[in-house]
Amino acid sequence: MTTRRNFLKTSALGTGAIAMPSSLFAHSFSKGQPKRFIFIRKSNGIRPNEVTPLTFSDQEKSLDKQGQPFEADLENHELPVWLQPLTAHKKDMTILQGLSCKMSENGHWSYSSVMGAFKSGRNSLSGIKRATIDFELANLFPSPFGHVELSLTGNYNTFRTGIVAGYSAPAPHQRNYCYADPQTAYDELFKSVTNPGAVESDNAMLKFLENEESYKAKALNGYEKLKLSNHIRSIEAIQKRNQKVSLKSDTIADRLPTLSEVHAKGGPNANTPEKQEAMTDILIAALVTGLTNVVTYTIDELSTPIKGLPGNEGDRISIHELGHNGGYSGVAADKIREKIRVGHMNQVAKIVDQLKATPEGDGSMFDNTMIMYFPENGEGHHSHGTQAPVITLAGQNCNLEIGGRYLRLPYHGTAGHKTIGNWYTTLLNAHGNPIKHYGDLDLEMSRKKLDQQGAIKQLLRT
Amino acid sequence: MLATALKLACTLFFVLLHSMGFAQVTEYPTSAKTLAFPSVAKTIIENSCGACHTDGNQEGGIRLDDLGQLPVNEKLHLLNQIQEQLLFGLMPPANSTELSNEDKNLITVWLQNQLGKLGADKLAEKLKTPDYGNLIDHRDLFSGQFANLPGFTYDRRWLISEYIFDAKFNRILNHRPHKTIDGKRQYVLGSNGRRINLTNPFLLPTNTGVRYYANTTLNGGHLLTMITNAKEAASQMIYLTGRDKRYLPAIEEIMRLEWGQAALLQSRRAFLETFIEKISIDLYGDKNADFLPTFQPVNIQPPKNTEGTEIKKSPFHAAQPGQQELALIYKTMQRNKTAGGTDKQLIERCEIEWFNHGHNQRTIEARLTFLAGYLDEFRAQILNHRYDQKHKLPIYKPRTDDEMVIVNEAILKNRKRGDRYNDVIEKCLRQWQLEYSTLLNNAGPPETSKLQDLVEQLFLKISERTPTSEENEKYVSLTQTYISSMGNIKAIEKLIQTLILRSEFVYRDEFGSGPTDPSGRRMLSPRDASYAIAYALTDSSPDKTLSEAAASGNLKTRDDYKREVLRLLDNRDQYYVIDEAVERLQLTASVTNTPIRKLRFFRDFFGYPKMLAIFKDNKRFGSHYDNAKGRLVGEADRLVDHIIECDTNVIEKLLTTEDFYVFHSGDNDAMQASSERIKKIYDYFKDLDWQNFEVTDLVAHKDFLSEVKMRGVDAERIATQGRRNSIREFKTAMTSFSARFDKGQTGAAPFVSFPAHGLYNASTRTGLQLRSPEVARFFNIALDNWNYPGVQPAFVSNRKGMLTHPAWLIAHAQNTETDPVKRGKWVREKLLAGTVPDVPITVDAVIPENHHKTLRDRLVAVTETEACWKCHERMNPLGYAFEVYDDFGRYRRQESLEHPDNLIQKSPDKGGVYMDLRDIYKTLPVDSRGYLSGTDDQKLDGPLEDAIDLADRLGQSQRVRQSIIRYAFRYYLGRNEKLSDSSTLINAEKAYLDNDGSFDAVIVSLLTSDSFIYRKPLEGISDDD
Repeated sequence: MTTRRNFLKTSALGTGAIAMPSSLFAHSFSKGQPKRFIFIRKSNGIRPNEVTPLTFSDQEKSLDKQGQPFEADLENHELPVWLQPLTAHKKDMTILQGLSCKMSENGHWSYSSVMGAFKSGRNSLSGIKRATIDFELANLFPSPFGHVELSLTGNYNTFRTGIVAGYSAPAPHQRNYCYADPQTAYDELFKSVTNPGAVESDNAMLKFLENEESYKAKALNGYEKLKLSNHIRSIEAIQKRNQKVSLKSDTIADRLPTLSEVHAKGGPNANTPEKQEAMTDILIAALVTGLTNVVTYTIDELSTPIKGLPGNEGDRISIHELGHNGGYSGVAADKIREKIRVGHMNQVAKIVDQLKATPEGDGSMFDNTMIMYFPENGEGHHSHGTQAPVITLAGQNCNLEIGGRYLRLPYHGTAGHKTIGNWYTTLLNAHGNPIKHYGDLDLEMSRKKLDQQGAIKQLLRT
Repeated sequence: MLATALKLACTLFFVLLHSMGFAQVTEYPTSAKTLAFPSVAKTIIENSCGACHTDGNQEGGIRLDDLGQLPVNEKLHLLNQIQEQLLFGLMPPANSTELSNEDKNLITVWLQNQLGKLGADKLAEKLKTPDYGNLIDHRDLFSGQFANLPGFTYDRRWLISEYIFDAKFNRILNHRPHKTIDGKRQYVLGSNGRRINLTNPFLLPTNTGVRYYANTTLNGGHLLTMITNAKEAASQMIYLTGRDKRYLPAIEEIMRLEWGQAALLQSRRAFLETFIEKISIDLYGDKNADFLPTFQPVNIQPPKNTEGTEIKKSPFHAAQPGQQELALIYKTMQRNKTAGGTDKQLIERCEIEWFNHGHNQRTIEARLTFLAGYLDEFRAQILNHRYDQKHKLPIYKPRTDDEMVIVNEAILKNRKRGDRYNDVIEKCLRQWQLEYSTLLNNAGPPETSKLQDLVEQLFLKISERTPTSEENEKYVSLTQTYISSMGNIKAIEKLIQTLILRSEFVYRDEFGSGPTDPSGRRMLSPRDASYAIAYALTDSSPDKTLSEAAASGNLKTRDDYKREVLRLLDNRDQYYVIDEAVERLQLTASVTNTPIRKLRFFRDFFGYPKMLAIFKDNKRFGSHYDNAKGRLVGEADRLVDHIIECDTNVIEKLLTTEDFYVFHSGDNDAMQASSERIKKIYDYFKDLDWQNFEVTDLVAHKDFLSEVKMRGVDAERIATQGRRNSIREFKTAMTSFSARFDKGQTGAAPFVSFPAHGLYNASTRTGLQLRSPEVARFFNIALDNWNYPGVQPAFVSNRKGMLTHPAWLIAHAQNTETDPVKRGKWVREKLLAGTVPDVPITVDAVIPENHHKTLRDRLVAVTETEACWKCHERMNPLGYAFEVYDDFGRYRRQESLEHPDNLIQKSPDKGGVYMDLRDIYKTLPVDSRGYLSGTDDQKLDGPLEDAIDLADRLGQSQRVRQSIIRYAFRYYLGRNEKLSDSSTLINAEKAYLDNDGSFDAVIVSLLTSDSFIYRKPLEGISDDD
């Protein structure tokens, strides 16, 4: 419904607009190559000391431990072991320390909170306060699919499969759909090549509906006619979207990933590393074929079963239990946590490698891509939300200063401190959305009357 | 002086022009390019406005002297702005004499006609929206001057709401959840935890007032989401038919052969998977083993510590492979156990069985790893969970002789040496599948009659009506096209999707039918009327009685409408979930058996549920805010529900009640009993030396303890250690009970003494633990000094009506401060039927920080300047009265200046539920004086002391009563009122007064009014009519 305030909002580039669907119908604000964004969410926190380079001086270590702001050049430092798959990409990388996420911290799970900078409480629709950051960016860089969400989650023993409820939110009180297993993601995203008959049947249905509604509209006048015209225009727009995807069939066919048989029927026997590997392949293909510019990937959450981990091949590992320091087959929880993170980094490295190998413009596709790897719930298993380290990689055309930086921002509740709301505001401001501040404010900063709105200046290009 | 004032006013004029949302020039229809600009209009505008808006004197950067020369688009844009200013009464300035009333009327009429005719009247479009509803003159509506105008609503399609979306899909997908309410199992509506994931695209805006209007149109976003929803729903509908053919018999009819074969194959598969070894031995005898492959064991590493330090082993529950797997492992162990055999031998035999059956190697590896690490724990589980009872080994029973012949022949035909059992099964199934596909192909496509039945049944299920013969023919043809390209089942799914994606599914039709009266009106068609009535009071389509009334010609008169409306209003057999969000917060029961849209009107109108989205600081609350907010909203709902259920003087009571629910389930008997139980325990032990009790002392009171059942103090098993330390828990409870009585309290709030699962004090109406006593803090009630009233609603001091309820106050405040402007605006618009222009886009509405002043003082500095006061005088004097409540809704006479510089005392960050954890800051006295204007009643208008004074006067105001009735009109009619609705509104007010302030009487009056019953066709109505 159009309200008086909405009238005002629609004239400006606001964040209140319907997100997911409208991204299909939105205008692109970018010139040239679109920017791409990959959000990789992980569970169980990232402890701040886990991302500290091994070669920090005593002074740097001390500052880091005390949460004092400073910056270091990653080129001069050795990354911690689990981050070493990214060593070759240090110059394209920022380790961002000191962000807080208290306004989105729900305990074990974040649900939609971490990407919307609000506290959703339990996973209720009404707790979803706004379109999440990925959808806001997808609005700025429209694509046929608008936004793609992937997740590897489950019930501790088995993985979810099919199309399921996601965590991203296209709008307040709305939950996104999400592909929960590689085969489903593959079938749905690349349908125009793998199952053109299904696309044709969709189009036949839309054509039928278009004709039927047009016939009805002839009998109407005035505002009521407009209602049906909108329905018809919407059908037409979706048909056009399908056409666009069909036009990409050759590109899709060229870049179609090979999916192992083990993923058929939801992949009940596929282990966790295999599922991650396959999801990564699909994620890359979705980007390079131009089906989407924004992917959100929940690489794990607390109830994701961990199976087939090297050294613990036969164990059914509970990430939740790792958070309570439980070991498996004689391997300590910390070691297993690290192995899980190494697995994640291998996937991130693969994404970077493949995007760098994909030409675009005068460079590669990676030049226009940002990858963000971050914890859904702050610094640990039972987090306070005072720290939420983010690993970011971006190519040379990135609108932000991301490259070889270890950046520690002032600690929570002190002057100059930044929250994930500031981080998302930075992303939006740098890509054409002038929003003053995205997300809820931190209440301790508010109580202390400390300035906390706006972008993180240290990351903006001057 | 005059020139300066005029200049200021004109500057404001253009600031406001921008505020109306037309800061940017919008595109207008092509037809508008033909705009004629008669010289008389041009002359009036140039002469009257030219003093401030000419070349060289462009107030606000705008000139009007060159209107005639402007490009058409810009000209239309400017004319729209002028029209709006005139309507709002913002131009000409009050101290200007440049524009006579006559000229003003002339220009207004000309603008309306011209812009309307050209489809370029943006104001008319806006006037249909809820925020502009008050622009129609209140006195005109109620004076009676226009009561002779015949009321009507235009024929329309009304987009479904988020609630109707859920109700529709719940109905279609047979989602009928139950809840235990007041100890009885009840079927509830509005609980939307469906098995399938549907995304609701029809979300209503979150404004207060009326949220659901008939002028919303479907957009691409809705449709795109609906496409995925339609796919999910179609697949679920097929599944439901598979479970019970009565759901959609036509599908079962079409699929009978295919599904029959699939079921047969599935049963053969299940039979073989369970008994293949036995069948094979029967068939092959001693030679069976020769056909099996050579066993290849899976090697697993036994658990060993490689760290050199002790490593915590994950507990059984965090390592077990899932209940199904556990049962399977157990059964395998049962089959393979031998007397005297070792564990190792047993596990090896199990592994061989799994290997022979072709289980996945990884699965076997996981089982062996589990058994290697957790065999002892598993055996304990087997005992504790009575696996021998729950997971009995299957007993072999052969299929029929004919079936056994088929099975045996297939095995003999397909089995090769080296095959595992699963290979054999798959080969057999492939063979049978092939045979049946030939059979299916030979059967051909379904007969047309079956497809006709299918279309008819799907129309009934989805659109709740029989298709016309034309529709049936068209959809049968479409289905045949689908079948030819994708086969039966996919075609049926696609047909379901098509029907869900029709506009009929997402719009409610409200069209007139039958003879036209002299005013050009027709009555709602009976079917549309049945839906209009049902959706007015519930989210569901008409119930059986209402549908039958429509079908049998009993929904044609005003009396028919009245009969059905009264019936639905009186119905208390149906329970509804009020708000799923409230339910999820601290398990609050959010249920009612009041027709849900009656309660929701007041929920939306007051807008107190908006507080759920406001993020607030626990530290500033002094306790756990997030715990308490769901209960606060739930109890506000309960209060509204209580008042509308009594149904006398509803409006006055809502505005002036001094009785509230605070930490109460709504069940007086249960709450009273729970409170009395605590008193009984306290009275029994208070004079004893319970602080120094030992086990023997407790045992001495065994009989009493058995009677009162204290949590953790089982009289039969008094324990002193571990989790069942009875002495500790007894003392914890007594300490807590003492705090509730040692200051002379007469009743104890029945909250739990320490966090624990289970019930031992009061429970919610849905049988869950009543949590979050912190809710009392919003009402300035200390949990250790509360004479708890078991019977509620009960008197709470310093409160009067819903506008002093903390939920309303929080919803109309900022995160960390109050908001007199928001609170005042609400009163002006919702209760006084007044208008307030939006904040101009050029104004940065920020209150400057100054931690030495109260918020009011800071607000005065930025809103009481001449340019701002014109709008703010409509809000601030009302909003200031609420300054006696802080942003948590707590009553106060001193305002805490929360700033580090003003900190007097830091309080602990954590503490018991009794403790107030707020930091203490310097304070300044609160000034809550305000001014009430706009009631049209000299006895009521005037200076105010505070919000309680305001509530008292609002409760006496006729204008307030009429304003609420105007909002009720919008809520039930889904549109703004017009002059032709004057009679409807007057009658609704009269019904209220004649029936002792019954809101039901208002609803009946509205839903039997001409405005509701009569419709006018759209022919000849322009886009902006």
